[in-house]
Amino acid sequence: MPSEPTVSGDRSVEELKRELAEAREQQAATSEILRVISGSPTDLQRVFTEAAAAAARLCDAYDAGILQVARDHWRIVAHHGPIPIIAQGPPTRGLPTGRAVLDRQTLHVADLQAETDEYPEGSEFAHRLGYRTILCVPLLRAGEAIGVIFIRRTEVRPFTNRQIELLKTFADQAVIAIENARLFEEVQARTRELTQSLEHQTATSEVLGVISRSPTDAQPVFDSIAQSAAQLCGAQHCNVYQFDGRLIHFAATHLVPGMPPQAREANMKQPPIAPGRGNAAARSIAYGTVAEIPDIDADPDYERRDVTRISNLRSTMSVPMLKDGHPIGAIVVSRSEKGRFSERQIKLLQTFADQAVIAIENTRLFNEIAQKSRELEIASQHKSQFVANMSHELRTPLAAMLGYAELLQEGIYGAPPEKFLPILTRIRSNGTHLLGLINTVLDISKIEAGQFKLNLAEYALGSIVETVMVATESLAATKKLAFKTEVATGLPHGLGDEQRLTQVLLNLVGNAIKFTDAGEVRITAGAENGHFALCVSDTGPGIPAEECDRIFEKFRQVDSSNTRAKGGTGLGLAIAREIVEMHGGRIWVESTVGQGSTFRMELPVRAAAAGAT
Amino acid sequence: MSKRILVVEDQEDLRAILRDLLSTSGYTVIEAVDGADGVAKAASERPDLVLMDIQMPVLDGYDATRQIKALPGLAAIPIIAVSSFAMKGDEEKARASGCDDYVTKPYSPVDLLRRVQRFLREAAQP
Repeated sequence: MPSEPTVSGDRSVEELKRELAEAREQQAATSEILRVISGSPTDLQRVFTEAAAAAARLCDAYDAGILQVARDHWRIVAHHGPIPIIAQGPPTRGLPTGRAVLDRQTLHVADLQAETDEYPEGSEFAHRLGYRTILCVPLLRAGEAIGVIFIRRTEVRPFTNRQIELLKTFADQAVIAIENARLFEEVQARTRELTQSLEHQTATSEVLGVISRSPTDAQPVFDSIAQSAAQLCGAQHCNVYQFDGRLIHFAATHLVPGMPPQAREANMKQPPIAPGRGNAAARSIAYGTVAEIPDIDADPDYERRDVTRISNLRSTMSVPMLKDGHPIGAIVVSRSEKGRFSERQIKLLQTFADQAVIAIENTRLFNEIAQKSRELEIASQHKSQFVANMSHELRTPLAAMLGYAELLQEGIYGAPPEKFLPILTRIRSNGTHLLGLINTVLDISKIEAGQFKLNLAEYALGSIVETVMVATESLAATKKLAFKTEVATGLPHGLGDEQRLTQVLLNLVGNAIKFTDAGEVRITAGAENGHFALCVSDTGPGIPAEECDRIFEKFRQVDSSNTRAKGGTGLGLAIAREIVEMHGGRIWVESTVGQGSTFRMELPVRAAAAGAT
Repeated sequence: MSKRILVVEDQEDLRAILRDLLSTSGYTVIEAVDGADGVAKAASERPDLVLMDIQMPVLDGYDATRQIKALPGLAAIPIIAVSSFAMKGDEEKARASGCDDYVTKPYSPVDLLRRVQRFLREAAQP
């Protein structure tokens, strides 16, 4: 006989069905709460209310409640059911709810009315309010009890293990909800903070941009600060003032849209005020600190009510611009409602104030430097003029000395004694040398005064080389140097300043002979691609690489005992470079120490008119 | 009869050099100590050539040259500017005011003498 399902088996099927239905209901309830949590993460009240209702219903309790412990005191957050909740003061051990929180443990009391010893207050409440069985589950966050969820019955009927587990689930969910809400608030607050600080940073870096764009004028900086300060401080109005040490002068203003049109005018027309208590700017400049007036109407010392009334301003704050601790201005923000400005807004205004100080200082320094350089330029022109005059004055007596020496030598005053002749030659050559130095100094002062000009005319490069050779070959011969010139045939005619170009070549050859003690000096001249290539090479000591550029600077010579012994003004090459560059050419030196130097010039055959008249 | 040269020069030393140089070379030297004096001497003495300093008190060499060239019969008289100006444009200014040649101080007296001789030779040619 096949075995039939037993009655007990039937019952267990029924039981399973019921349990399944219950589990479904519980699952539906918990997922409903989870949905509420995720749907409105900040609406804690709704989460708690739903959790309390679901707990009461699913645990077959008479009522349910959720308590939070905030600052060590009970706070009722949700209640479902007819029994009142009494929860005052801090949690105590005399109540199951209190003990659950203090011990961070679930408490299940079958008949609270009977527990007069264990829970004296609890049993008294239970008597008074008419309940018996109570189950308390603490809300634990990171091991800390932040509240309790409880369910009660009016009869003595302990909760099943499944109901206890269910309540624990609700407790967990309540904690998750609280955590969620807290995190959400935190994220929001942090986002607000970040947004704000980003706005502040953007504004301050914008002001920095204005500062660097406007180095000679602080006004655009003030305008930019006024606008940003008003917007970021939630103010209707921002003024920037400058303090001259005696009075505070209006410098810039910004009014947000919607302010009465006459407000701007009233604001800009206000007369300067002295430091004191008359308004916020006067106070912050008088005391060198932030001055706040949270309620202008209630401030007995406020003097500028005409201005604030037109603009309908009720509160104001001023931050001083401090330079080395001394006030040089102020930034003032005002609002149409009473109240104080936040710490963050004060900090922002202080940053703006620092920036305004930088802008004012920048402007002052910039204008000072501009003025100084104008003065220097004028002084330099005066100096150049002086040098030009001086060299003129030096030439006149020199002319007489050289003239007489020449007349003597030429026998104008009768044939001179034979032994006078070399002495007269020495007088003349020294005089000529002195004249050369004066001319060099004059050239430099002309260059510096911008009066150095070229006389462009046709010239033959070959004849320049010839002139220089004639003038210097005796010097080379004296030092027993070979002196060679190589001039290409068929060179085109050049356009340039023949006299100046001769001066350049003379200088180069003179230097070559001066610094070379043995070997040769050579001039080569050719033409290529519309340029003359002129070259003076020697077998002298050579020039160190690091000096090759610098020798063309004024007053610069290769620093060695050798060159110091050779003398010279150190101006010749500077003048040579100027002359070559004015012709549109370039000059440089190639040299190896110990192997001589080669000075090269590249000169347009036809010099452009630039630098010439 | 020797050629007559007017030296207009405010510096005594330089005047003396020219006087010594030119008289030794066979010329008659007439001296003037400033531009106005130079114009007056040119008018009264009617020299064959003028050596004209540029920077002088009372009347400078440019104006003196202009005034001399404007005198009746003296438009063609050779005037050599003798200047210690060395700035750009000085020579142009001298030539524009009527100078026929331009010598920069300090000059070689012998060189100056050659220039004087050349001018007088050319002037002597028909």
